[in-house]
Amino acid sequence: MKRVKHQDDFTERSSGKAVPEAKQLRKLAGDWLKQRRADAELSQADLAVRLGLKYYTFISQVENGFSRVPTEIMGAWASELGLERATFARHLLRYYEPELHRLLFGAETK
Amino acid sequence: MNVVAFERKPVTGVWSESELNTIVAALSAALAPSSGRQWETGATENGDAQFYLLGSLPDQACVLCLSRVGRQYVLEDGSGRLLFEHRNLDLVVLHARAAVPSTSWLMVRMIALWCAARSVFHEKFEPMLTETEELLVQFIPQLAALA
Repeated sequence: MKRVKHQDDFTERSSGKAVPEAKQLRKLAGDWLKQRRADAELSQADLAVRLGLKYYTFISQVENGFSRVPTEIMGAWASELGLERATFARHLLRYYEPELHRLLFGAETK
Repeated sequence: MNVVAFERKPVTGVWSESELNTIVAALSAALAPSSGRQWETGATENGDAQFYLLGSLPDQACVLCLSRVGRQYVLEDGSGRLLFEHRNLDLVVLHARAAVPSTSWLMVRMIALWCAARSVFHEKFEPMLTETEELLVQFIPQLAALA
């Protein structure tokens, strides 16, 4: 989806600075989630309904890399995508908490 | 008289300049340079516009997300909690402004400094004061006896 970056001025479309690592990793997590959802043949709206969300906008928020999958619905999110919960959580941890992931599971190849 | 009801076309696509002006103006305090916050826009897979208010570095996680779904404006926090929904953008941005954490970094730093100063005082100066007080308690009766 289209992402446009702004600071406090409309004309300043990009700060020119490197994208912070946490943000970049969240975006990668979002791309992975989007792909898994496509594999499950679900739209953002379908997934939102299955997760009991009134609007599907939060799915987009997460897939666009601005937010994380909340821990409390991580299991349900995995199930709806047809993925094993622990594997799903472990994979997301790689993006959301890379250092913790490294401590728990060591350096793994993707 | 016959009235023909025309169905309104759903509104999709990017934010209009007027909508963005309204949102950014309402969040101007939250977007002050000292806050370190930024904003970005995006869209859902259906093309519904989204506005993200991002926290400060290094995480820059979404603090608030305002979306336009059809003719409805939807305000959510970074965890997907629905905060407010309405067709009137002015009303929605009022709720957005109220939902932004207002404690400034300067305030946080001042509180931290105050706590550090208090801690140093308790550790270093309070024992000295207690010692002086004990000395006075010992010597005052003797001085009084001499007087």
